Amino acid sequence: MTDTHCPYCALQCAQRLGGEPLAAEARQFPTNLGGMCRKGWTSTELLRTADRITTPLRRTDNGFDEVSWDEALDDIASRVRSIRDEHGADGVAVFGGGGLTNEKAYQLGKFARLALRTRLIDYNGRFCMSAAAAAANRGLGIDRGLPFPLADLQDGDVVLLLGSNLADTMPPSVQHLGPVRERGGLVVVDPRRSATARLTEDGAGEHVQLVPGTDLVFLLGLMHVVLGDGLADTAFLEERVAGLDDVRRSVAEWWPERVAATTGVSETQLRRIAHLLADASPHRGGRGAFVLTGRGSEQHIDGTDTVSAAINLALALGLVGAERGGYGAITGQGNGQGGREHGQKADQLPGYRMIDDPAAREHVAGVWGVDPELIPGPGVPAVQLLQSLGTPGGPHALFVHGSNILVSAPDAADVKRRVGSLDLLVVCDFVPSETALLADYILPVTQWAEEEGTMTGLEGRVLRRRRAVDPPGEVRSELEIFAALADRLDAPGTWSTDPREVFDELARASAGGRADYSGITYDRLDADEALYWPCPGEGHPGTPRLFTESFATPDGRARMVAVRPTGPDEVLRRDAPVWLVTGRVLEHYQSGAQTRRVPQLNASQPRAYVEIHPTLAHRIGVEGLDDIRVTSQRGSMRAQARISKDIRPDTVFVPFHFADEGMVNALTNAATDPISGMPEFKVCAVTIGRSES
Amino acid sequence: MKVVVIGAGMVGSRLADELHRLDPSVEIDVLGAEPYEPYNRVLLTELLAGRADLSGLMLPQISGGRVHPGRPALEIDRAQRLVRTADGDLRYDHLVLATGARAMVIPVPGLRDGLPRGAHVLRSLDDARDVKAASLNARHAVVIGGGPLGLEAACGLRHRGVGVTVVDAAPTLLARDLDASVAGVVAEASADLGIDFVGSATIESVCVSDGHVTGVRLSGQTITADLVVLACGTVPDTKLAAEAGLETDRGVLVGHDLRTTLDPAISAIGDCAQTPTGTSGLVAPGWAQARELARNLVTGALIEPVEITGSAVRLKAVGLDVVTMGRRESSSDSHDRVVALHDRRARRHLEVVVRDDTLVGVTCVGAPDIAAHLSTQFDRPGMIPVDPLHLLLGASAGTMTEAPSPTTMPSNTTVCRCNGVSKGDLVSAWEGGATTVDTLAEKTLATTGCGGCTALVGGICDWLAEVDPQVESPASASVRS
Repeated sequence: MTDTHCPYCALQCAQRLGGEPLAAEARQFPTNLGGMCRKGWTSTELLRTADRITTPLRRTDNGFDEVSWDEALDDIASRVRSIRDEHGADGVAVFGGGGLTNEKAYQLGKFARLALRTRLIDYNGRFCMSAAAAAANRGLGIDRGLPFPLADLQDGDVVLLLGSNLADTMPPSVQHLGPVRERGGLVVVDPRRSATARLTEDGAGEHVQLVPGTDLVFLLGLMHVVLGDGLADTAFLEERVAGLDDVRRSVAEWWPERVAATTGVSETQLRRIAHLLADASPHRGGRGAFVLTGRGSEQHIDGTDTVSAAINLALALGLVGAERGGYGAITGQGNGQGGREHGQKADQLPGYRMIDDPAAREHVAGVWGVDPELIPGPGVPAVQLLQSLGTPGGPHALFVHGSNILVSAPDAADVKRRVGSLDLLVVCDFVPSETALLADYILPVTQWAEEEGTMTGLEGRVLRRRRAVDPPGEVRSELEIFAALADRLDAPGTWSTDPREVFDELARASAGGRADYSGITYDRLDADEALYWPCPGEGHPGTPRLFTESFATPDGRARMVAVRPTGPDEVLRRDAPVWLVTGRVLEHYQSGAQTRRVPQLNASQPRAYVEIHPTLAHRIGVEGLDDIRVTSQRGSMRAQARISKDIRPDTVFVPFHFADEGMVNALTNAATDPISGMPEFKVCAVTIGRSES
Repeated sequence: MKVVVIGAGMVGSRLADELHRLDPSVEIDVLGAEPYEPYNRVLLTELLAGRADLSGLMLPQISGGRVHPGRPALEIDRAQRLVRTADGDLRYDHLVLATGARAMVIPVPGLRDGLPRGAHVLRSLDDARDVKAASLNARHAVVIGGGPLGLEAACGLRHRGVGVTVVDAAPTLLARDLDASVAGVVAEASADLGIDFVGSATIESVCVSDGHVTGVRLSGQTITADLVVLACGTVPDTKLAAEAGLETDRGVLVGHDLRTTLDPAISAIGDCAQTPTGTSGLVAPGWAQARELARNLVTGALIEPVEITGSAVRLKAVGLDVVTMGRRESSSDSHDRVVALHDRRARRHLEVVVRDDTLVGVTCVGAPDIAAHLSTQFDRPGMIPVDPLHLLLGASAGTMTEAPSPTTMPSNTTVCRCNGVSKGDLVSAWEGGATTVDTLAEKTLATTGCGGCTALVGGICDWLAEVDPQVESPASASVRS
């Protein structure tokens, strides 16, 4: 029996692996409370998937040949050298993933900087957490998805959930909403009556079914009412927050009736929710309130500003740092939190240090045993990186780790063209994902149940991932691949292949940084200590709740940031009169590369679908199980209609886990938020029609 | 480039902000007649109603340039391109008039020689503060003018506990914006709030005693009042323009390019401007003009003519919900579809006007949620429901939800979403001997995700025990014994 955590989302449900064949069952843990969704229950199926890659594969004219590790690594190293000779170090780029363990994420960043010597590294977390991260950093001085334990939600009177469908994405987390629902305090903001929105029914709260892309305006309206009706926590603002005056002025332009005309949320509902939140706030005698954002409100060209507006609201009500309450972002990927702290991001070094900060460079270079001059400067964010692949001046070789960019990136058809123009594509994966199938080399790597490591869950608590079975065939860990390639590329520094040693190095590298892991060890984690970063030093108990005393800003005060709406990037036009929003289904995770290979999950949800309102379906002559074609300026997809009153009549919804003709990311907009680089996945203008098959 | 803007209201300050964002090198001076920084005039009645305070009206500081509150422009010297003020002259390359509009004062006895104490217009921040202060001691107020401003003021005063009568020369409230039958609903809703309305009124005089108002005399009756609020419209402020020899009519005459007809170095935007499509009085077209003019001045881009639609009311009134945009029954064309729901006793009226494939008219009284939804559909290019009736049902289109019953739910209904377990799966597991919630969970995984279906699985368990009692297992036997 091996105690570990689920391979999928950031809730990281505790699971126990055992038996023959290996099976997973849920374990008690404060986040999942003994629950696990069917993705977790069926997770061990993935170990037995028929097309598991077990030896290195090299592209040939008609498929792939099995090759030895030495042959593959020698050739990759030599091709990297020649591409570097021709195009310079930035001729090679790296694309990482938010599912990698902390150890791999850390070593990947180091590999890019020291072995490849490129500044061009970024990762798919840019598509997840970048907007929330940027807003939390500028407002609170630190970016930890939830700055409080998830279970705190049980103690509040109100939870305001913006653009999150956690009933589908992390079902066991719903248990923490039970008490708030009993008090009638769950408010879900979503253009769709999602499974999560349905949790507000029967008096459990309110569903706010706004126009896609108007979350920011809605938040400005709430703030307008909070300030206008004198509901703010003035003592808290006075003592601990800067920037109120600019924010007050910015919301003066967004009176409720104007907000209503933009968002479709009536002034009565807006005022009601503002008062509900205020009455739940400690300064007005409430038990506490939480403002939480998810990708639905973040994946916009003004995503950072939207999150800032959410933080402003939480600050105005005195929630942040209160005993109960606060602002949090609900991290998506398994290690979406840890993955963004240890150097996969274009502009960061381990410990959430900024790569252009001389002191940070010196510290990390010291741990790496290299001259700080050797560490390259900041690279570019993911969308920009992908758009530059194979272009003059752009990278000509790409290493992909833990990501399926052909399905999960915006404007995915263009990504495919860009990837196709590379001279060398190396993909580390355990299944032949859509991206791996384009590779020159596929290197087979371990899955969660075959490896040791740590993950940092959505609360900032560091969790142990443990090995339950030996990897099959010639499968290796990425740590071994980094070491082998570093050696062949004559990289400086040491390249341990032992996760425990790599973690200890990571902890040293993070010491003194914003995400300080220096007091965390495998021994402490294995002794079941609940360690939330920052944990500076062996004796430190970790930090379950941030901001109780002060904020991580130079003067210790939180910063309210005045913002104004700029989105959506596309507007409805006569030839694109319908909004498209995308999201997830319970059965699948991310690009579906894993879950589409689990028979039970795939049988239950084998295809994409187009959720459409009956009046809109009627309008285009679609009924029953007809297929619908959805087309944007960038691309087109087709899937079966799912006629439902859960969606607004001006909007269609398509889940994004699917490839080929059901791939909705062929349509999504690669326009990005200028602050965070977050692409506008969540809204674009499309035309729809009945599809004759 | 040096740009001087006369008028530091919502439109003038917006222009300055847009200009600076597009080109930080433009030198911008904004002259304001009032002693305040730019503020949101739209919210003056909210101030009166107590839903906003002074600081809540202040607009964002412009991103660049200088605002000069309390420094009115005294004269425009077009020959030398100078604006004269008491604190010196300002030279301009381009001058923008954003002088707004003044409140109209009806020329009746009692008001001809300036306003007596207790009589107020409601145009500036000082006006709103004066009315608010006066309302503290007022017993009864007469609001002259039953348009949007008058009605908002009436609701605000009523909310403060003052008795209110609205009088208007028109026979109905909001006469310019609503058809008579709809206005009737509004009048009844207002009456419910305690606001009287006297329509078709001829105001003979405002009664004044010792310099303070005491009432309003109409032909036929006198209404005793210690507070009179004049909300009978505005006139574009064209004084400076006219004195500078520019062409004026109702407003300052400008072309589609917003340039004054006689001097291309001078533009006019907002309430003071009269474009070939007319004058506005609403902030949205003014802001659109500001954006267009800023872009034009910086990049030379052609100015898109700003549509000044006749009617757009979105009442900000405590207790009264009225939204109207675009066409209505009386202004519809013969081929327009007009669908209305008239529900007078519930103080509700809904009406949509559909032309071809576009929603061109919305009128909603007493239905804020549907009004908000329809506002987002107004003038949207594209896909109106085949039957416009569906528009009246709002965004959720009348979704009804029903609690699931173990007995009546179909067999393929999903009970446990987290693990994809249907009622049929549970019945099979029961038939296989799993007859408790725990054993059903073990067999099917139902309840092992979020646990939200535990009660329902229990209900199915009970129902099966009732209809299928022959199944005996140790667990169920012990439960029954």
